[in-house]
Amino acid sequence: MIPAQFDYVTPATLNEALALLAEHQDDAKILAGGHSLIPAMKLRLAMPQMLIDIGRIKDLAYINEEGSQLRIGAMTTHYQIESSARLKDLCPILPQAASTIGDVQVRNKGTIGGSLAHADPAADWPAVMLALQADIVVVGSSGERLIKADDFFVDMLTTALEPGEILREVRINIPTGNFGQAYAKAAQPASGFAVVGVAAHLTRDANGNCESASIGVTGVASKAYRATGVECALVGTTLDDAAIASAASHAADGVDLNGDLYASADYRRHLIQVYVRRAIAAAQQ
Amino acid sequence: MKIEGTQEVRAPRERVFQALLDPEVLQRCIPGCEKLEQTGDHAYAATLRAGVGSIKGVFTGQIKLEELQPPSHYRIVIDGKGQPGFLKGTGTLDLEEKDGQTMVSYAGDAQIGGTIAGVGQRMIQGAARMMVAQFFAAIEVEANHDPDEEPPKHGFVRTALRVTKRALQGSNAADQSAAEDVEGERKK
Repeated sequence: MIPAQFDYVTPATLNEALALLAEHQDDAKILAGGHSLIPAMKLRLAMPQMLIDIGRIKDLAYINEEGSQLRIGAMTTHYQIESSARLKDLCPILPQAASTIGDVQVRNKGTIGGSLAHADPAADWPAVMLALQADIVVVGSSGERLIKADDFFVDMLTTALEPGEILREVRINIPTGNFGQAYAKAAQPASGFAVVGVAAHLTRDANGNCESASIGVTGVASKAYRATGVECALVGTTLDDAAIASAASHAADGVDLNGDLYASADYRRHLIQVYVRRAIAAAQQ
Repeated sequence: MKIEGTQEVRAPRERVFQALLDPEVLQRCIPGCEKLEQTGDHAYAATLRAGVGSIKGVFTGQIKLEELQPPSHYRIVIDGKGQPGFLKGTGTLDLEEKDGQTMVSYAGDAQIGGTIAGVGQRMIQGAARMMVAQFFAAIEVEANHDPDEEPPKHGFVRTALRVTKRALQGSNAADQSAAEDVEGERKK
């Protein structure tokens, strides 16, 4: 439980952090809240030679409204999101999902940017970002670029972040119209990670029919994914129980499910359907 | 842990089998393989820097190929250990010809122990799948490569990222084809 030796630097600005990252490249890791990286380092599963702590950089933790968008800084902790009254009004799935992450200690230190950049296949935020069709803003030496959540998660622990880039912000369109959203999760009792996590964002048209559906699933495969089969099956329906059940049967279509000691692939296949149904039902309330 | 699956490799069966037996090719294709030295008849000593994302470990061990039946079958025996844990396993590879392409069926059973098994249990299967997919993608490139030319380079994660980048930069139509490329990369 003692990490290998490493250097530790605390840049005061994002530009300084980028310069350090460019200089040390693969030997360096960005430290955000440290609730995935530090445990891995203590077990010596990760042995970076340098940690670049971006926790001292001002103005990376914020929840702002800009026009029709919400902008959440990378260093915003899960707890800051969980406890934001404004988010509870504007986009309730964010505080709700945040409240299910790990335990109080993890939520108090862990950050949304760190979680997304680490891309743990059982982390909660990826499902929520997919369901909200968020844009992820990353910055590198050649400037800033926007990555759609759909393109951000490449594979297990692998994102579209290039070496030398730092995740800076998450942008989410403030939901409008008659919408409902919810995150439903079967948590691993020891770690709190999702065995299955489903984020649902639905809108209804003037007649009360489902106008659009966006469903993100985490915990079951090597990366979080959009359950497009479920989304297609929901649109146009009245979102009655039969429609939801029939749509939920497509939740794992075309996805290679992972199994482990705790939950086999078949068990997960069953759980996804149950949690897709629950997330959709909760989103309607 | 059981690992099994079928992988389509777009190259003739003889070439694929040849590639799967050539230690130099294997070293280039096994993700993170730093050393593969012949120690006997189809026996090798290997050093592997394996892992995904920030989670990495160095493994050293022996690899043996048995039951060689060119060009359709062999059995592989792996025994390795490293700082994050140990790995023992056997697997079989069966190659079938299909319309000038090769279907490789693999089935194996691996025992994994140590730190990595204790805390990384939930990720082992996904990581193994990822490495198998990367391996066969590289084998396909090798089997289609002219042996007289300089050997190809495989940038595993880079390949996935390049495809994603293309999807990000392109128009909608390009998005579509790049998305299919990503799909193709995975199926490889």
